[in-house]
Order: sequence, then structure tokens, then C-alpha cells
Amino acid sequence: MPVSNSFRSLLPVLLLLVLLALVPLLSPSNRFLSLAISAGINVIALYGLSVLFGQTGILSMGHAALVGIGAYTAAILARDFNIGFWLSIPLAGIMAAIVAALIGIPSLRVSGHHFVIMTFAFGQLLSIILTNGGDYTGAASGLDVQQPVSLFGLSIDVLTHYYLMVVFFVALSAIASWAIINSRYGRTLRAIRENEKLAASLGINVGRHKIGAFIVSGVFAGASGVLLAYFLRHISPSQFSSFPSIYLALMVMIGGARLLLGPLAGGILVAFLPELLNLDPVQSRILYGVCLIAVILLLPNGLIAGIIAGWHRIFDRRPAQPSEPAVEREGK
Amino acid sequence: MGALLDIKGLRKQFGGVTALAGVDLAVDEGEILGVVGPNGSGKTTLFNSVTGVHKPTAGTVSWRGRDITGIPANAVSRAGIAYTFQQAMAFPGLSVFENVQIATEHCSNALANFPWTTPASLLEFVGLSGLSEEKAGILPFGRLRLLGLALALATRPSLILLDEPAAGLNDRETKTLVHLVEQFPEHGISVCVIDHDMKLMQMLCRRLAVLDFGSKIADGPTADVLNDPKVLEVYLGGAL
Repeated sequence: MPVSNSFRSLLPVLLLLVLLALVPLLSPSNRFLSLAISAGINVIALYGLSVLFGQTGILSMGHAALVGIGAYTAAILARDFNIGFWLSIPLAGIMAAIVAALIGIPSLRVSGHHFVIMTFAFGQLLSIILTNGGDYTGAASGLDVQQPVSLFGLSIDVLTHYYLMVVFFVALSAIASWAIINSRYGRTLRAIRENEKLAASLGINVGRHKIGAFIVSGVFAGASGVLLAYFLRHISPSQFSSFPSIYLALMVMIGGARLLLGPLAGGILVAFLPELLNLDPVQSRILYGVCLIAVILLLPNGLIAGIIAGWHRIFDRRPAQPSEPAVEREGK
Repeated sequence: MGALLDIKGLRKQFGGVTALAGVDLAVDEGEILGVVGPNGSGKTTLFNSVTGVHKPTAGTVSWRGRDITGIPANAVSRAGIAYTFQQAMAFPGLSVFENVQIATEHCSNALANFPWTTPASLLEFVGLSGLSEEKAGILPFGRLRLLGLALALATRPSLILLDEPAAGLNDRETKTLVHLVEQFPEHGISVCVIDHDMKLMQMLCRRLAVLDFGSKIADGPTADVLNDPKVLEVYLGGAL
């Protein structure tokens, strides 16, 4: 496929991110910026999840645990080795990738629902380990991160600066995800998603590529964890337990895992919807549940694919054909 | 000279059910061999046990003299054996072109003078060039079979195992298929084909093997096998 053609899927994402980078000019409130930063940090992990779920068809219900690995790696590196933010990003990415490999190798021997349960169990296990890690992990109260973040001598601890940096990292992960999707590697992952048996018969090592996709998604999660740790300045085990994992899975499903705009839409929507509707945490959990059911029933490929299909139906008067397939088939 | 693919005493049990009861079968270089037999006689299990879908319970499979018994499906493909499935012939959510592109990208076999090395040439050969941007999932059945054939060819095999390639095809589509498969031997590709369609088998194969209840009951020139009283009794009845 010619590059110019596939570039069309990246362009709207980059345009949107440029617009989002201009938001500070409207002098938004601190609360708005904080929410936007949290959303952006999630979106980075979601781009990894979209490679895993959208391209390879594997759902992880323990993904927040990999974000947690990144966050704790950053906090411990800062505390014990005086390693700052910038070096933490690649190191935490590598650490999360290693952990993903360690979970992936035994877990991906089983497929489908069993893998989902394995990842869920792993997420729980990690929060138990972190809670019982004594002084090393700060136990239930967690760890503080005190290192300042700066770039070329400019402090990034100002909320606006941190926001812009997160937008930059979101752009970076969108580009990375786009490059994977349009590579030979991405096609291989899609082949596995579509038909494992046929993929194997064409010479593809299915098991190794599934573990590979999990590792790749781990790198995104690890990097997102570092941004989270340095943003919140304090991390604790409960932030990486089962609920955050479920939220990540929810976001990627609501936005749509296969299209490049999906993770961005999912992350922003889930962060801002309760705020817009002025809901308390209990109400917003109910709303998320209802949203998830609605999306699964009505828009199985997520909001963005649904909007594109609707657009075609109204304006083109021809059968909808979003650039990724219609209903996912379960039978393998 | 030894056979290209040599199957000896191949057994496959599923719990208490014996699907293959020790089958010997050899495919020679450059031939089109047919394997027939009633439903449940073990034809597909035979293919599955050779191509790594199932692990055989006993027996050996050798490929150009090398033991390949029980190696995984992707290694079988890399050794040069391609397999078209009865069902699940393509990647439904991907475009026709992408389907073939994936298959060519993973091909590691270097065959000299292999005529179909690019996705475009493969699609042209099977006559799907005009549909390359369509989703494989919307192709009609006959076209899907041709796509499956293109995918198998894309791995540049020395042997193609075709599992009921004409099932669900009409006469014209079957003729197209025969026309394509007949060309394989001259490009160095041997063929082993399973099907119920005796007309197809007579058109394609000079040699036939017959399976019944997991055992081979006949093997020889097509005309002789079709006149073998044992074969007529268990399989053909009065149909021919």
C-alpha cells in the first residue's frame, strides 16, 4: 500500500493533536488541564492496547498493572539511583516489556477468554505484591516521586508545560502505533486476529507474534506509567489494580481499537463525560457500564468506526465500509 | 529415488476413536495424487496430521528424506508444504490484496523459476486481480476458494495439499480450478488432493488412493482403482 494512502489515517489524529496543543491559549482551568493530562496518559497506554486488541485480537484485563510497572520503575529509579524523568521513560518501557514477556509466555499458551482471566489474575497479583513490598514499594501507602522534570533548563512542572509534553507523547505513540499497523509486522498481527490456523499454515509463528504484540503493548504502558508517576507525584497500588485495568479496556472498546482515532476518542470521552454531565463517581461507574453495553451491542467496532459508517450511510448512499471490517467474528 | 512425501504407518487417535489406523502413502515429485474415501474415512485427519494441525499418535512423515513428524504448522509451511483448508480459507476482514501480501511476505522458500512471487502475479493467476481492494469476507464462495489457492501458492511450496478444493463450486468454477491445478506440476509443485467429486478426481489425478475407516484399501492408477471391486463396494456403490 502506498505511504500517501496509509498516511491519510494518521493525518486527522495529528491535526486533532495540534488543535489540542493550542488549548492552553484559551487559558483553561487547572482542573481541566489535570483531567486532560490524565486522559492523555491513558491514551498512550491505549495506543499500545490497540496494537494488542485491535490488531492482534487479544484482550488484556490487567493492563493497568503494566502501567504500574512503569510508574513504580520510575519512582524507584528516582529514589535509589537518582535517575530522572527522561531516562526513566525508556527504562520503564523496557521493564514493562520484560514483565509483559514474563506474563505473556505462560499466559498466551491459552487463548481467548482464558488469556483474559490470566491477565486479570496478574493485575491482582501485582497489586498484592506492591502492597506487601514493605519499604521498597512503600506498601499500601505507595511511593513519592520528587525529582523535578525539566527540558533544556525549562521546568515542565508547570501544568501547562506538562500538558504540552503529554500531547507530544500522545502524538509519538499515535505515530508508533500507525507505523506498526502499516508495517509487515502489523499485517502479520492482523492475520493472526483473523484466522490463526491459516496464519500458521502460511509459515507465521503465531505464539511468538502474540507474545511480541503483548510486549509491544507493554512498552506503551510502561512509558505511560512514567508520565503518570511524574504527574501525580505519588503512586500507590490501588491505582493499578483491577478497576483501572477494566477502565483501560473499556476506553479502547468505546473508542474503537482498530482505527487510529479510536484510542484518542475513547480516552478523552471516558475522562470528560462524567465531568460534562456532572456525575459523582458512583453515577459515572453506572454510566460507563451502560456505555460499554451500548457500544458492544450497537457499535461493536467502537464509536469512531460507528460514526464513519453513519457518515457513509447518510452522505454517500452506499453501503458503509469503514476502513476496518464490520462485525468481528468469534469463531476460530 | 525416494518419494517427495513419504507417510509410513500414520496413526491418529482421538480418545477412543481411531481416525487413522496406520496409513502408508507416498507422494512422488511432479504428480497429482488423489485421496478419496467416504465421510469419516480419515482424509482430512491425514492432512491435518501431516501439516501440524494435529500431532499424530504414531507413525512417521518424511519430507525429502527428512523426518518431519509432528512439527508445528508454521515449520511445515517453511519446509515447502502448503495446505488449503476446507473451511477458513482466507482472512475475512482484510482486503484480498492484503491477504496475498501477508502470505508472500512470510514465504522463505526460494524456488528457482517460480512464476508467482508477487501478490499481483498470484491474483492474476487465479483471476482475482479485479477484486484486490475488496474485503475477502464478502467474496462469493468460489472466489474465496481461489483466494485460498493463491495464499497456498504464495508460500512457494513444492507440494500443495488441497482439502476438498471443489466443495461448493459449480461446474464452471470447478473447471477453472482444474485448469489452475493442472499447471502446478510443470512449475515444480506436486499436488495431493482430497475430494468427493469423482469427476474432478478423474480429470486431475492419474493416481488415486482410497481410505476407508482410517485405512488405505487401494492405491494405484485412477482407472484401475475405480474398477477395483473393493473400492466399488465400500465407496462408490453404484454412483459411477
